[in-house]
Parts: sequence; C-alpha cells; structure tokens
Amino acid sequence: MKKLLNIIALVLAALMAQPASAQNKKLKVVTTLSYLQYVTQEVGGDKVDAVALANPKQDPHYVTPTPRMNQLATDADLFIENGLSLDMWAKNVLEASGNPSIQPGSPGHLVATINVPVKELPTEVSRAWGDIHPQGNPHVWLDPFNVRIIAGNIADRLKHIDPRNGDYYQKRFDDYKTTFDAAMFGEELVKALGKSGGDILTRKAKNNELSDWLKGKKLDGKLGGWMKKAERLNGMKIMSYHKTYIYFADRFGLQIAGELEEKPGIPPPPKHRDAVVEQIKREGIKVILNDNFYSREAADYVASRTGAKVVITYVDVGAVEAVDTYEKLITYLIEEIDQASS
Amino acid sequence: MSCRLLIIFVLLCSIPPVAAGQDREKPKDQQIDELRREVGELRQELVRLRSQLPQGDSTQADELDQLEARLERRAEALENKIDAVSRSVAPIAFNPKMVTAVNFAARSDNKEVIEPSPNQSVISNRPFLRTVEVELSSAVDPYASAFAVISLENQANKDFGIDAEEAYGLIKRLPIIESAPLGLKLKIGKYRASIGVNNKIHIHDLPWTTRPLIVSRYLGTDHGEFFESGFNPVGMDLDFYLPNPFPGTTFEMNADIVRAGDIAISNASLATATLSPVTVRQPAYIGHLNLSKDWSNVHLLNIGASIYDEEGDYATRAYGVDLTYKWAPAEERESHSVVAGGEALILDHINSQLDRIHPYGWFGYLQYQTSYWLYLGARYDWIEEASDAAVVTRNIGVYASYYTTEFLRFRFGFEHRQSDIASQDNLNTIIFDLNLVFGSHPTEPYWVNR
Repeated sequence: MKKLLNIIALVLAALMAQPASAQNKKLKVVTTLSYLQYVTQEVGGDKVDAVALANPKQDPHYVTPTPRMNQLATDADLFIENGLSLDMWAKNVLEASGNPSIQPGSPGHLVATINVPVKELPTEVSRAWGDIHPQGNPHVWLDPFNVRIIAGNIADRLKHIDPRNGDYYQKRFDDYKTTFDAAMFGEELVKALGKSGGDILTRKAKNNELSDWLKGKKLDGKLGGWMKKAERLNGMKIMSYHKTYIYFADRFGLQIAGELEEKPGIPPPPKHRDAVVEQIKREGIKVILNDNFYSREAADYVASRTGAKVVITYVDVGAVEAVDTYEKLITYLIEEIDQASS
Repeated sequence: MSCRLLIIFVLLCSIPPVAAGQDREKPKDQQIDELRREVGELRQELVRLRSQLPQGDSTQADELDQLEARLERRAEALENKIDAVSRSVAPIAFNPKMVTAVNFAARSDNKEVIEPSPNQSVISNRPFLRTVEVELSSAVDPYASAFAVISLENQANKDFGIDAEEAYGLIKRLPIIESAPLGLKLKIGKYRASIGVNNKIHIHDLPWTTRPLIVSRYLGTDHGEFFESGFNPVGMDLDFYLPNPFPGTTFEMNADIVRAGDIAISNASLATATLSPVTVRQPAYIGHLNLSKDWSNVHLLNIGASIYDEEGDYATRAYGVDLTYKWAPAEERESHSVVAGGEALILDHINSQLDRIHPYGWFGYLQYQTSYWLYLGARYDWIEEASDAAVVTRNIGVYASYYTTEFLRFRFGFEHRQSDIASQDNLNTIIFDLNLVFGSHPTEPYWVNR
C-alpha cells in the first residue's frame, strides 16, 4: 500500500509540475505534414505556433510515430491532419498523446481536406489492389485551389477555438488568399478585377472557362503566375512513379499517362516496368516524375531505355530550401517539369 | 431573356439537398450524378445565354454574372454535401475495427526437442499454426477507448487454447477531469507489460522467428518458448511524460500496479514446487522509464530502464535495461534501414532451496534492410536459468525476412544453441515463419521500419 501511495504521489507531483496556462499564450498547433504547418502559420500569424511532425523529405504514407511526436501533441490546442487515409499514422500519435482536446470529434482536431473535391474515389476497396485510399487520392495539396480551401478550413477552425482573435485570423486568411491568388493568376490580373478578382478567376479556372473568359474580357494578356508559367505544360504527357500528381496535372493541364507502380504502394514488378518502357516509347513521353522518397531504380531503368528524363521531385514544403514555402513548391514543380521536357 | 433568367433562377432554387427529398429511394451515387449533370447543364445554359447577349449590354451581363456566382455557390454547397455524404458513417462504423494476424511456423531440428511443460510435447521437425490473433479496437465513448486481442494459441502441438492476450480500456479523461496533463493515460485490464520493449510486441510483429530467451524464460510462457510468450498481467498502467531536463528528448514513464504471481520468476510459481508454500503479497509493481530522441525521424534512439517488484515472504525483483536504435533515411526510405538494440534483465529472487540468487540474461540484435523486400539480421541470446544461475544457455540466430508488403511476411531463420542443459546443447534449428495480417489494419509501419 505504501508503494501504491508513492506512485500516486509521484503522479500528482508530476501533474502539479505543469505550468498554469497563460491567458495570452499562442495557440499550439501540431500538423502532420509541413504544408499544413506552413498554411497554418500563414493564417495564424503570430497568434499561433505551428509545428509539423513528419520530415518533409519523408514518404507521408509511412511515418513512424515517435515519442517526440506524441509528446508534441500532448499539449497541442489544435491537431491538423491531411486525412483521406494518407497520414493514418496520426491516429497513433493522437492515441499516445493522451490529449483529450485533440481527439477526433473534438474542436481541436481538424481533417484539413474536408470539402476538398476528391478524385479517384474507389468504388470497391481491396488490399489486392495495393495501398489504395478508400476515401480517394489524398495528394490534394498539389492543386493550389485545394490549398485555398484548406486554408479556409484552418482559418475557420482557428476562429472557432480562439474566437477572441477571430477577426485577426479572418484578415490573415483574406490577405493570404490575395497573395495566393496573385501567385496563381498574376498580381496584375487579380488587381484588375477588383476585390472579388481572385474568387472570380478561381471559379473560371475550376470550370475550365478561364481562357475564354479572359479573352472575352480582353484580359488574356494580363494572365501571370502559375497559370501563365504552366501554359507550356498544357497537354504534355508525363509518367509518374506513384499517383502523386493527379491533382497537380489536372490543374495545370498535364496528362498523367501512367505510373511506374503497377499497384499503389508496391514497387513496380519487372513486367510492368517493361510495359511502361513500351508505353513511353509509343507515346513519346519525355518526363518521369519520381518522388524523392521512392527508390529511383525503376525510373532510371525506364529512362535508360527510352531517353525520358527522370525528375526527382519534392512534394512537401521545406523538403529542401528551394521549396521552403508552398508557393515555391508549386513554382518548383512547374519549372522542373518544364525544364525536363524542353 | 428575362424569362430565361427566371427559369434558371427557379432551377437553381430547385437543387435539393443531397440526402433529402423525393429521390430518397434512389442510390446516393445516382442522385449525385444527376445533380452534377444538372449543374453542368445550367453552366452550359449560362454560357449559351452569354453568347446571345448583345454587345455592350452590361446590365444583363452583370445579371448573368450574379446568377453564375449564385450557381457556383450552390454547386459548391452541393459538392460539400457530397463530400459530407461520402465521408458519412453508416451504423456499421460503430463496430470495432478488426484485424486478424495469423502466424504459421515450421521447424527442422538436428535432435528431438520436447517442450518441458505442461504437455511434454515433441515439437521438433513439425509445422505449427502458432497463433491466430483477432484484434478489436474502438472508441467506447468520448472518455475512453478499448482494445482487445483474442488469441487462439497453439498449446505446444496438443490443441488450441483461447486466450484474451490483451483486453483493456484506455482512459484519457473523465467528466470530472476534462484534461489530464502530461499526456496521462490510464490503462486498465490485461495487457502486455512494459518490461523492456520486446515484451510489448505481439508475435506476428516480431522481427525474428522466436522470442528472446529472457522474455520467454524470465517473463513467462504457457507452452514453451517456441510459442507465444511474455508477461501480460491484469492490472492498471499509468503512462505519462515527465518534465524533460534534456532539450529535444522525451521522457516517458509507465507506472503499473498489477496482480502479483503471474510472472514466470514469481515466488508463487516456486510455491508449487516446494514443500513450504511461499506467499506472495498483492499487488506487484512495474515501472518503465524511457528516454527517447529522434533526429528528423531519420535516426531514433530509445533507452529504457525497467523494474518489477513483488513482495511477500520473499521478494522477487527484476531490473532491466533496453536500447533500440533505428535508422531509416527520409529519401529512398524504402531501400535501406538499420535497426539495432538489445535488452538485459537481472533477477533478484529465491530458488527452490530458498537461497537468494541473481541470475541474469541479455540479448542483442542487428537488422539491415537490403531492399524494399528483404531484411537480414542476427540475434544473440545469453541467459542464466532463473532457478540456477550456474546453468547457462547461449543462442545465436540469423534470419532473412522477405516482405511482399507490410501485411505478408516470410521469414527464414537458423538458430544454433549451446547450453548447460544437455537436451538443448548443440541444437540446430531451421525455422520458416509466415505472417499474414488482414482486416482494417492501416498501412502503418511496423516497428521494424515498415
């Protein structure tokens, strides 16, 4: 019994050692991926301290939760995950954190991709098809329009859990949206269309009407940003290792001819690799995108037999200095593909 | 024109919420397709109307812009609803998440191997279905979650027994304590105890084909060390993070109160073999302190210390240390990785002559991943018998693990044993091991880096 009392005393002492929370402390936000951290910090400004768990160079599907991650989540006010069965390891972190305020269903838990239109929703799910995602392709953040929605989701949640700074978050979100729209369409064009310019352009681009609409308004000469940069990629066929670039390709007019993986998450068997070689030769594909965290062996094999160029790509913010912001990440991807194809 | 605008306006207003209305009997995907088609037609209609606008008619153009904005808002709301529906949960979602793990093993030996107790079965040169584990987990309510592993265990080739290998509730808060600091979690039930690291791992997640000897011989086994082993007591575990003196590191503490007498080295088991019964006082206590540091999730180092304390006529104590190091590069991570580690346990208990003895044992291992598919490794065990520190067994094993995915693992091992126990001396064993994991297990990595 004495030992039992000792243990209880030890636990109570540990509990009392917790510092009392300060009134004006920054919100502690833990995100699974670095792009979420970046967007959260942009929207949350100096009212928020955001930290990402995964190494941005790492395959976001396979992250080993560590005690450090668990402890980071222990006193988080908000936990943000990508969802769509990409960062499923987040569940382990949430469980191990013991933090009730960030458990699924709590205001302190946000699946950032809510309301993002998801592609490749499977009609049936079986492990026989590899590591498929039951809720659709999760690589949504490579379409900037989806990150616009995600930023809105984050802003809404910050306002909800920290209503005293609601106006601040709204203003930061509005400012970020303006910056974001300028990066997408060019500052001149967005300004030319006035306050709702970004919204109108986004809508037109989503409906594939942007080009005609700009011509009709005689504004086509003002198009800038990623949309202008990516014009050269329009219609280009590319091959990728994994189904990472579906959203990116759809947004910027690329065509994904296929993947080196025959089934998601499983390295390409030799027979499939050879079939890809034939396809690349047949269709004149010049570029193979290989995420940095996958082995480049298959891509090199295919490239050596077809003359296609392997582009090692980073897909999360901060993986290298050249992609230390989301805006730089998208610019980097467009430019890398453009350079490899020319 | 105004009439057409009116028609569009009426159509826009008529877009019903996804789940409601007269289409309830239709499948949801059909309703969604129809609504999307309707939105598409409205968009086309707007484009057509715009093309018919006379040049310079800015009023009508503005009106069309407003209608278009309205259409897009409704379309967005529709997509949101579709999204909500696609993510909505059917009542079946309240069923526990279920995973089944099957472990099959076959062995070939150079001499007859008999499991000592309780069945005295010959287990050499035979295939076995070692375990079938059904894992169930779910949230219980906003305050707790539950986890159970119902295991069908091979009883040394005699039969199968059903065992609740683990069954516990994990409580993170209570209505009276909304938020527990230090990440405090309370586990109540039956669970694999935090004595070292290996004891907490289920047989299908082991990187090897057999348990380390300190786990099977010191902590416990029901049907011999080739079958499922370890210490999974009934009790209560407090898991929390300690204030950290070293920046960048994590201190995690497990403090347990468990039923005494269940561990293999307990004096309670000794009581059955002696003329004078030895009483064991309830409960027993377990502590495990883990210091952890990871470097960008590429290098991970864990150093732990464990203690088991059971009082009574004579005290039984065990002190342990464990160390695990992992390296898995962030880039081309699937190609190479290293795991190395080891554990040691020293006992402080009595033998059948009621003499206090201090036998100890340890194991160390190294594993290298050569490609996505293949892992190679070795483990060395050195152990003194719990009942007689003068009797020593040494075991060296090498193995190759072939993964098709994290759900299907083939493993080939060779073990050579030298022992002061004559029946185990110079024993050579080849083991083939197959693990199948199926069900709703996520594609999360196992502790061996996948």
